[in-house]
Amino acid sequence: MTRSEKIRDRLARAFAPRHLEVIDESESHRGHAGYQDGGESHFRVVIGADALQPLSRIARHRAIHNALGKDLLNEIHALALVIRV
Amino acid sequence: MSAETQIKDTIEANDVVLFMKGTKMMPQCGFSSRVAGVLNFMGVEFADVNVLADEEIRQGIKAFSDWPTIPQLYVKGEFVGGCDIVTEMTLSGELDTLFDDKGVGYSKEAADKIRAANA
Repeated sequence: MTRSEKIRDRLARAFAPRHLEVIDESESHRGHAGYQDGGESHFRVVIGADALQPLSRIARHRAIHNALGKDLLNEIHALALVIRV
Repeated sequence: MSAETQIKDTIEANDVVLFMKGTKMMPQCGFSSRVAGVLNFMGVEFADVNVLADEEIRQGIKAFSDWPTIPQLYVKGEFVGGCDIVTEMTLSGELDTLFDDKGVGYSKEAADKIRAANA
């Protein structure tokens, strides 16, 4: 599974989102810190999920971090989150 | 001094602290640059901690805040969030409210300019 697929899979399982986009933005960071050959280093996730609605901003981000897991977070360099509730 | 003690001392001694990659004058990451840029533009006095200069602080702040990414903003000892949250709060006006509530000085006019430019 690619990292994009892992991110999608873990978030889909955790939150049953009505909307989920996993965008690999690595190419726009080519030459910057953290860029890896083959991309999959910088991601933007757009997620809409009822499960996140009751949480505070920080708690929403933490819930997503937890769902992704330390192993996956350690592999990627940057994760921008757009949370629509 | 342990990294945790250094972090605690820094956020106790300064009303606003940004843990970032690089410095406020020379950020070394786009996300850190964005948050430092907002604070600079709004005229907020803040302490910058360059996590690239100290690996123990870099790992220590992630554990301390239970937050895996840099930058991280603290206001009056309280964790506010990273780049996404600070950006959202700037545009929604929640950051102004937080600074008002905590008695942190900033330029409302500059904050309004950021919002106008991103409307």
